Amino acid sequence: MGECHYQSGNYEAMIIAEICRQVLKDVGVNPERMVLEWASAAEAPRFVELITRYVSAVKAIGPLGSAEGEDKEAIIRMHLKAGVKAASARKVRTALGKLAKDIKKSGDYNPQIISDGVTKKVFPAFREERLAQEIQICLAETGPCKSADISEKTGGDIKEIGKILETLSRKELVKKQGSNWYGIGN
Amino acid sequence: MTGGVFNPHILGFFCHWCCYAAADAAGVSRYQYPPNVRVIRVMCTGRIDLRFILEAFGCGADGVFTGG
Amino acid sequence: MVEAGRSPNIEILTSARLEALEGKPGRFTASVHQEPRFIDDDKCTACGTCTMYCPMPIVDLFNERLNITRVPHIDYAQAVPTSYYIDPRACLRINYETCNLCAQTCTAQAIDFSQKPRELSLDIGAVILAPGFGRTDLSVLAKYGYGRFLNVVTSMEFERLTCASGPTEGRLVRLSDRKPLKKIAFLQCVGSRDETCGNGYCSSVCCMYAIKEASVAKEHDPDLEIALFFMDVRTQGKGFDAARERAEEKYGLRVIRARIPRVDQVDGRLALTWTTDDGKSCSELFDMVVLSEGLNAPKDAEAIAEIAGIELNHYGFCRTLVDSPLAASRKGVYVAGAFQGPKDIPESVTQASGVAAMASELLSEVRNTQTVSLSYPEEDKAIESEGPRIGVFVCHCGSNIAGVVDVDAVRDYAGTLPDVVFSRDTLYSCSQDALKGIATKIKGNRLNRVVIAACSPRTHEPLFQETLRSIGLNAALIEMVNIRDQCSWVHSQEPEAATEKAKDLVRMAVAKARLLEPLEKTTVDVSPTALVIGGGAAGMTAALCIAEQGFECVLVERSDQLGGNLRRLVWTMDGQEASKVLDDLIKRVDGHPMVRVMLEAQVKDVSGYVGNFTSSIVKGGQPVAVDHGVIVIATGGRENRPKSYKYGRNKRVLTQLELEESLAKGKGFLKNIKNIVMIQCVGSRGEDMSHCSRLCCAQAIKNALKLKGIKPNIRIYCLYRDMRTYGFSEDLFKEARKKGVIFIRYEPDRRPEVIERDGRIKVRVFDRLLEDEIDIFACLVVLSVGIAPGDNDALARVLKTPLTPEGFFLEAHVKLRPVELASEGIYLCGLAHGPKPLDESIAQAKAAAAKAAIPLAKGQAEVASTVSRVDKAACIGCGVCESLCPFNAIRLFRVNKRRKAETITASCKGCGICASHCPTLAISMGGFTDEAIMAQIHAFAGEKCV
Repeated sequence: MGECHYQSGNYEAMIIAEICRQVLKDVGVNPERMVLEWASAAEAPRFVELITRYVSAVKAIGPLGSAEGEDKEAIIRMHLKAGVKAASARKVRTALGKLAKDIKKSGDYNPQIISDGVTKKVFPAFREERLAQEIQICLAETGPCKSADISEKTGGDIKEIGKILETLSRKELVKKQGSNWYGIGN
Repeated sequence: MTGGVFNPHILGFFCHWCCYAAADAAGVSRYQYPPNVRVIRVMCTGRIDLRFILEAFGCGADGVFTGG
Repeated sequence: MVEAGRSPNIEILTSARLEALEGKPGRFTASVHQEPRFIDDDKCTACGTCTMYCPMPIVDLFNERLNITRVPHIDYAQAVPTSYYIDPRACLRINYETCNLCAQTCTAQAIDFSQKPRELSLDIGAVILAPGFGRTDLSVLAKYGYGRFLNVVTSMEFERLTCASGPTEGRLVRLSDRKPLKKIAFLQCVGSRDETCGNGYCSSVCCMYAIKEASVAKEHDPDLEIALFFMDVRTQGKGFDAARERAEEKYGLRVIRARIPRVDQVDGRLALTWTTDDGKSCSELFDMVVLSEGLNAPKDAEAIAEIAGIELNHYGFCRTLVDSPLAASRKGVYVAGAFQGPKDIPESVTQASGVAAMASELLSEVRNTQTVSLSYPEEDKAIESEGPRIGVFVCHCGSNIAGVVDVDAVRDYAGTLPDVVFSRDTLYSCSQDALKGIATKIKGNRLNRVVIAACSPRTHEPLFQETLRSIGLNAALIEMVNIRDQCSWVHSQEPEAATEKAKDLVRMAVAKARLLEPLEKTTVDVSPTALVIGGGAAGMTAALCIAEQGFECVLVERSDQLGGNLRRLVWTMDGQEASKVLDDLIKRVDGHPMVRVMLEAQVKDVSGYVGNFTSSIVKGGQPVAVDHGVIVIATGGRENRPKSYKYGRNKRVLTQLELEESLAKGKGFLKNIKNIVMIQCVGSRGEDMSHCSRLCCAQAIKNALKLKGIKPNIRIYCLYRDMRTYGFSEDLFKEARKKGVIFIRYEPDRRPEVIERDGRIKVRVFDRLLEDEIDIFACLVVLSVGIAPGDNDALARVLKTPLTPEGFFLEAHVKLRPVELASEGIYLCGLAHGPKPLDESIAQAKAAAAKAAIPLAKGQAEVASTVSRVDKAACIGCGVCESLCPFNAIRLFRVNKRRKAETITASCKGCGICASHCPTLAISMGGFTDEAIMAQIHAFAGEKCV
């Protein structure tokens, strides 16, 4: 650490890794599947140790999906697909950029500070965006649904889903007819 | 999985100057380590976008090792 | 080597020797005799047909006579020039006018028996002697049974046996019956440290290479038993001790301290008998005995000396002085490498750069009057803009890759991938003929994207990029796949898994290659000034050398005077007064119009990049901004301050430097002093610092001899772990023993103790021969405290450069780039790089100056083309990129009242933080675009990805 050729690139990576772990945990993937490690050009033995240890750790965790619980594979895939879209969304990226900027300004890359910052300032925006994406995927794939069905599918609680549905309908991305929600567009 | 043994499919993002160089040096010294990691070289770990890691898991990676 | 072969400004004359050297520095005329190769190296494609058809077997000298080759042959595939040659001694055509088979079968018509020896007369400015080293005499080897017993081999022969492309393809067998080896012994100091053969010096490299060879052997066969017989273990190079300790532990190498006088053969095995240093007598049988032969002066050293008009030392190596280690005794003639004294690769490469600087100083006035610059053909935009036509080249790297990975399978697999129109395997992709072949295939198949599956892009990408440029393709249109360093080498036990990995990596690279786009290459002007940080011997030498080459230099020194550690030294190893060396350096620095000295000054901040650095130097509390093109780090090191051995608490416990300083004050200091105990490795090799400080052994001996010279009856005890008086300082070690200095070896787990009693000091040490502790009363205890790194952290942070675990600056590559940092435009010399004696510091300073002068002399530096680019339309001017960029390489500006970001290309280092954080995905990273990385991820997943 602190030996980065680019001076601060590794610090930015710490923030990305933290949001990544929080997201993985949120969608039911063991966050230990993702690691961020340091080995400088002079540390070949350390690199070998890290990679060997990591591969055994992943072996112990088991295959993605099946190891996270029975029949979880498809749902995790859906979460992750929506996650990539959320990670592309301007709102989420702005929150992330702003956090990185603020932490850089403070100069304190203490893991606890990064973790707190991500929890408070980035993760909520990310989750909301991911659920919004999942709602749209859900409506597009299965047709009109009740909000309770959506909640069950996406794993979001019913109140949270309700709020996001309202927002999406204001943006005219979904509409409600009776107790059913419809996707607009695709 | 082959023959009941789980052989994880792992994607690595290695920084050109640090981890990638360390991995090269490990080769020069002929250290041996498990062959499960496929490496994407980036100039800096700071290049790694959240989308890349999520996409990798979305595509079925059992693990993502980012090394700076 | 390939680089030297490719440079248009280096003409290589093989089979040539210097016959006469007339004239004066700057205007020499050299007469050179050149023997013919009988094969035209411009026409030869290195296909090997001539070797195949030649009926005359000859011994293969390159493989140490362990193999047979034919009259027309090449020593090894990567040889430069990559052309075969004919050994005239056994050739039927040359000697009997018959045969001629090779000429008839050579389709390139490269074989030319009409070639005659040539006499050349060359007008040259300077001469560099680098004839290397000579081999140990057979009569010396014969003492150990070599020549009588087949399984007694030299270390050079063993090196060939362990080589995958060597005579046994890397199988370790007994030469007598080709049965696998089970037990090997390495005998050190064969032809070194041996008065009886006239080689009193230490060859410096054998201890480490023996460890290396033993490790390689254990890699081949983990069940091997290996014993190494040392007198002292001399692994004093940077990082060598750590490497040795790792090897000893990992491979279970047995280290035995004994000198084996002879080898006997018993029942087909080899018997060794020795006495340990605690007096036990032992004997054992081995399958093979490897003689670690030393480095001799070159065979023709005397002839070279006579022709070049230079002096040799008493061992027949080129004579040089501590303060000018690269200058032979004739002006304008310089020396580098083992001819100057036995040395390892890093020091040889360093000296090679150093002599280039010496020649450059001498010839600076006529720089660029006779150079040729490479020009590349115009880029063929039409081909580049066609849809991707990808060529994949899979390298065997001899057996380095092909010995593990199924190269044919990878090649065939590559051919099935989308947009791949051509795939081929190559034996050594980086050899000159292979590069030519790749270029031809690219052109012939109208390829516009190239994937090379070989070694690391870190080392070889520039070479292949060059090949692309040479045929009018943009350098960015290549993608390398590392199937050697990160595949075959590290998965050698799992060939199938390694092959699968190689295929996956090729698939990922092809996916990326489909999206590669040409990148523009730009250059920036270089500000023609060097900043040298540190005003000790290394810093002053570097500054002077740069100034003598014609460039301005700012020399920054933290203290109030120049000199650094040299100021405290009294005598040099060759007996010169150190103060004279110092005064001379200072006088030359002060008097040089191109050197500006800043005392009591410190570099607080550095911004910019090669060619355009701006530093903030604080002097007297005031920051001064200095613009410069390059940086030389020469911040030195410091004498370590031990906490042990009562140092600092008893005034009769001194360091070696303190002893030197006291001696310089006059003989009165030695009044009443009868007994002196010196303790080696006080700070080094474990207690305070893990590294070996390299110079303390010779320094202790130098001081012991000085003491003996002043007061012959003084008793001196030297307690040591390994006496590391490598090279010619071994002479002094021998002299010290002759003059009665008593050497007692201790083990690190039984270190000596300094005990104070009734105002007297005694040193308690375990004597291995007596198997008991002995007490030595001492009037003085002198500690070899070692060299600690300076306060390098702050500067390392400012320069964004890594340090070694010991706290010294880390060079870009230990052997190939020993004086450069990984960051462009920053160079390194002296104790800041690691502990070393004065002559090595000076040579290294010259080397750093040579490297630093390259961008200065070119006047322009090429800017990396992997830079970020902002899509103005998508940019919302949020400023995240600007504030996160570590290099201030992004600025915001206004367009129609809207803020937009823009990359300052010359400052951009290509890290990509901006791209991964842009809220609107408006930034694209050249060579590492989002699309390309996503394509790699999808290719990684293969069919798993939906």
